[in-house]
Amino acid sequence: MSLVFSKSFDLFKAAKWILRKDIRSCLSSLPEKVEKTNADEDKMTRIGRRPRSQNPMLEYRHIYPEFLPDPNPNWRNSLREKLERADMLERRKQIDIPEFYVGSILAVTISDPHAQGKTNRFVGICIERKGCGLRAEFTLRNVVDHQGVEVRYELYDPTIQTIQVLRLEKRLDDKLYYLRDALPEYSTFPVDMDPEILPEGTTVPVNPVQVKLKPRPWLERWERQELKGVSNIEEHLKEKDRVRRELRKTPWEKYDLMKQYRKTVPIEDQNEIWGEVYNQLQQMRMSTKKTARKRVITAPKSQLG
Amino acid sequence: MNQADVTKLVSKLRIKVPPKHRRLSCPEGPEGRLNKLRKTVTGLIKYERIELNYYRGDEARQYAERLISEAINHGDCHKPTMEMADFWLLEKELVHKLFKVLVPRFENSNSAYTRMLKAPKPAYGRYIDKAVLELRGNPYPSLQNKQTNNRQLLQNILLDAAKYDYRQAKYAEMAEKIEKSEESSSVKTTNIEHNN
Repeated sequence: MSLVFSKSFDLFKAAKWILRKDIRSCLSSLPEKVEKTNADEDKMTRIGRRPRSQNPMLEYRHIYPEFLPDPNPNWRNSLREKLERADMLERRKQIDIPEFYVGSILAVTISDPHAQGKTNRFVGICIERKGCGLRAEFTLRNVVDHQGVEVRYELYDPTIQTIQVLRLEKRLDDKLYYLRDALPEYSTFPVDMDPEILPEGTTVPVNPVQVKLKPRPWLERWERQELKGVSNIEEHLKEKDRVRRELRKTPWEKYDLMKQYRKTVPIEDQNEIWGEVYNQLQQMRMSTKKTARKRVITAPKSQLG
Repeated sequence: MNQADVTKLVSKLRIKVPPKHRRLSCPEGPEGRLNKLRKTVTGLIKYERIELNYYRGDEARQYAERLISEAINHGDCHKPTMEMADFWLLEKELVHKLFKVLVPRFENSNSAYTRMLKAPKPAYGRYIDKAVLELRGNPYPSLQNKQTNNRQLLQNILLDAAKYDYRQAKYAEMAEKIEKSEESSSVKTTNIEHNN
């Protein structure tokens, strides 16, 4: 690998050198005026710089965030990460783990650990995704018989039989924990929901619904979390809460460049990771798309017959 | 095991980043710490070389590197980057310096944008590590004494002399060899003439 890299790098260098040489020779042969305009253009481009072109592979970080390692360097281990990625791809060959986000509605079937040969199916809204590598997990929430139920699944759990996305969408927030304190109608989804199919090539829609919270007591201090998906938070606050919210604000945190840096995986590391898994993931996506198309065609036939 | 934040893309720093930040004992808390570092980063961009305590310098170095790499990645038409520069540089003319002087300077560099060297501690002062933090490509004379290239250094003078002697000895040997071969050839020719 390194050999190839160095080779390509050398080639690149050579090409750069030749280009430079050409440009120089051109400039020296042209009259002075032309040179000046060239220099001006150079300056203009420098002042009005555009962002550097991004690697298209990097877009997969939204779809498969669990392939990126934990950003904490104390917990990094390149060999373990590599083995885990290979295992994750193996698991993805066995069952179709679809693209979904926090706010999507999923149906998960797992084999029942307490009854041999039987399965459990649970439908709910994904309220969080966390963890990385083989330990990635997500939580589904639904209201069953007026009782809020949450089930946490591990994404690569071998007892999971199918994961089906019933409605692919995002919400306004990254975590939907506030559904626990919201009115039950916002986290109630029928068990026999039909999957909604998005037309191909559309971006994942963002559901702008704003939930209404139940009166206090709450599980968390939602008013301090700057939530976009809650509409009636101000109704339940006292003057004391508003004052404390102001005191607790951390407006400097968005300027803390190193805090952001320590939370993410830099582009160079990501390029390596996505270069390793991109091709296989893309193949899987293509094959699942094909099967989905087949299913769409066959469904009305069965109804007719 | 936490999931990496994927909303923002950052380029990798070329310096060693410790896993945790230093808190820089500060009564105003994290905000005060950031204010301290703002002053240092502003000073670094303004003077290009500053001497300060090691810990504060190391922290400020990371922030300065991040600021420059953001400026290089996004340019000055990117609003969040501009806000960031506005926050970190307390003197607003330095924002122009960042985008018009430092970005072209470091655009194609393959190394870190700053350099930090350990500075001598005062003999009878508090026992605190000092450091010199500087931007690369600054106009000041180098702090590192690169004596290996200095021809006037005693070792280099001695080495040069030794090389010169060695070369003279070799030349003398070669000259002797040539003389010998010439003599032998002349002897041979005379022998041949005698035979004839």
